[in-house]
Amino acid sequence: MEEMVMGTLDLITASPHSSSSSSSSPTTDNNNNNNHPSSSSSISTRRTDLSTDLRLGLSLSPSHYSTPSSREQRSSFDWPPVKSTLRCTLVEKSQISHFVKVYMEGIPIGRKLNLLAHHNYHALVKALANMFRTTILCPNSHQLPLISGNNVHVLTYEDQEGDWMMVGDVPWEMFLTSVKKLKITRADRC
Amino acid sequence: MNYFPDEVIEHIFEYVGSHRDRNALSLVCRSWYRIERCTREKVFIGNCYSITPERLIQRFPSLKSLTLKGKPHFADFSLVPHGWGGFVYPWIEALAKGKVGLEELRLKRMVVSDESLELLSRAFPNFKSLVLVSCEEFTTDGLAAIAANCKRLRELDLQENEVDDHKGQWLSCFPDSCTSLVSLNFACLKGEINTGVLERLVARSPNLKSLRLNRSVPLDALQRIVARAPQLVDLGVGSLVHDPAMETFAKLMTTMNKCKSITSLSGFLEVTPRCLTAMYPILPKLTSLNLSYAAGIPGSDLIKLIRHCKKLQRLWIMDSIGDKGLGVVANTCKELQELRVFPSDNIGQHAAVTEKGLVAISMGCPKLHSLLYFCHQMTNAALITVAKNCPNFIRFRLAILDATKPDPDTNQPLDEGFGAIVQSCRRLRRLSLSGQLTDKVFLYIGMYAEQLEMLSIAFAGESDKGMLYVLNGCKKLRKLEIRDCPFGNTALLTDVGKYETMRSLWMSSCEVTVGACKVLAMKMPRLNVEIFNENEPADCEPDDVQKVEKMYLYRTLAGKRKDAPEYVWTL
Repeated sequence: MEEMVMGTLDLITASPHSSSSSSSSPTTDNNNNNNHPSSSSSISTRRTDLSTDLRLGLSLSPSHYSTPSSREQRSSFDWPPVKSTLRCTLVEKSQISHFVKVYMEGIPIGRKLNLLAHHNYHALVKALANMFRTTILCPNSHQLPLISGNNVHVLTYEDQEGDWMMVGDVPWEMFLTSVKKLKITRADRC
Repeated sequence: MNYFPDEVIEHIFEYVGSHRDRNALSLVCRSWYRIERCTREKVFIGNCYSITPERLIQRFPSLKSLTLKGKPHFADFSLVPHGWGGFVYPWIEALAKGKVGLEELRLKRMVVSDESLELLSRAFPNFKSLVLVSCEEFTTDGLAAIAANCKRLRELDLQENEVDDHKGQWLSCFPDSCTSLVSLNFACLKGEINTGVLERLVARSPNLKSLRLNRSVPLDALQRIVARAPQLVDLGVGSLVHDPAMETFAKLMTTMNKCKSITSLSGFLEVTPRCLTAMYPILPKLTSLNLSYAAGIPGSDLIKLIRHCKKLQRLWIMDSIGDKGLGVVANTCKELQELRVFPSDNIGQHAAVTEKGLVAISMGCPKLHSLLYFCHQMTNAALITVAKNCPNFIRFRLAILDATKPDPDTNQPLDEGFGAIVQSCRRLRRLSLSGQLTDKVFLYIGMYAEQLEMLSIAFAGESDKGMLYVLNGCKKLRKLEIRDCPFGNTALLTDVGKYETMRSLWMSSCEVTVGACKVLAMKMPRLNVEIFNENEPADCEPDDVQKVEKMYLYRTLAGKRKDAPEYVWTL
């Protein structure tokens, strides 16, 4: 899992399209493509080369979809003949999931959450607040907690070295590669 | 019949609905032509560039309903570059200028701008129905105009369009006075909608029969909305995801139990499989089930679902159901007429469906007449069996994921298998080929496929003879689309008159040269021969001997079009 995640990081830093997906592109609203390309590397062979190979009977099997991340970047490989709306749906589904355990302080039974279903810290915090029905302070807000009660929490995580850290200090992509577990702790404890 | 007064003939013509029959009527004699054209209300135009809007309006003064198709079919698979054409604005402008009493507009693969939607919404006071399939360029702003201005709107049906969602409040633009909605489908929109507004809209639409939601509607809102519309016939569930509150789920199940009329179900773009049990109350009555976007449902849950659907006539499903699942379909859905099996992305999993699933279906579903089947492999023996079991195919489309794969059992091309299909299915109108194929399959097609109207070929054939067999043999051929085949100039130029009997021909990555296309264009002035020159600079004249990457030709009465982008050369 660690290797796969590290591999993803490599792909992210190497990719020229990494974090500047145009927000107006209709195919990328929920599409993680630019940040998390599928680890089963998409085949972006030029169509002309592939058709020559196919004619030579090399019967390559293009069993994975190319991942068009925006209208302009539509891959030239287009077999099987599937509409782009369906292709995008499948690409979203094919992404690696990265489920981590989440515990809330005081509750012995934990939950599991797919980090790759969220695009940023804000979405993650929102999802967890909903899941655990509590207020979680957003990591980058510099407000002091207004309520110093026991129903305000912050989000912490255990990193690869076993240390417990506050969520939100490092870039999202870096966080994804280092997080092992999440814990929702009471705000007055931090 | 000539002794009947016009009114009587008009009355008789009222019973003639289909476009083809109407076209036939107009050819009988001058007075029938005149009567027919004055009474025709619905017109279908398969290629928007085949005729000018002005000419259409002139011929049919009573026009109320127009269907237009724009880009060639292969545009669905990204083969047509951006900006090619298919703009609807000039049509709407002309219809408005001509004071046509437009009530219904159905568009497929066209470029629809917000301006055109705004003009549409203002220019036709009786406008009732807008259906957009695989269109692009419009945003939710355009939809807002339709919602706000079309006082008599009955139908807004958006299927698989690319829509820029500006997350505006387009649904709120339906005025409180709008109570006429019969059909609302916005499943393809990606943005959030105001569920309260939607609920109120549904509550004041007593005639609402068809409602397809997008993925932004959560389970509790879904329950409230469906509770307001127990008369629904067609439901598209955008999202069916676990809600921590179990009571909502129980409420939904009760609500579904009250929906006695739903016969069509679709969607499930987001789904928690165990929530599907909420749908079980309506499964036994379903005649149409579309799970082609439900990538989140594993095969085992699909199978469980299907066991309850004994009345299905149409099933669109993903190949995660597997051959075994198709066996269950074959045993359960005896009324099945149309089946589409779409590829899911099974990384590292075993082959999803093969020829075995198709054979099982052919044995269990005698009424099957339409098929679209994406599979990992196919055999001649299977195709021969299918041909024997199902002689009633009208549409038969096969797509093997490895495009040139031969029969894995015999290592032979699939010529004999497809040959059996065309020989047995005398009513076949549409065919898509796949797998390793030689010229022989085209010989069979030319010989037997007498009713064939549309043929799609990819990575097949050995020589020009293949294409010639088809052009010579298939008398009713209307659309031919070919990609990555070794067909060249001889095939293209042998029978140029043939193309005027067809709607269009597409050839890409074949062996046709610029010179041959020029010859064709010269010989046939009533064809537009377009070649796409994406890689060359616009002012660079291509060499005659250069191979054409993409060519699209179509018959037309409108002449060379004026809206072609720079990379399109009309010869």
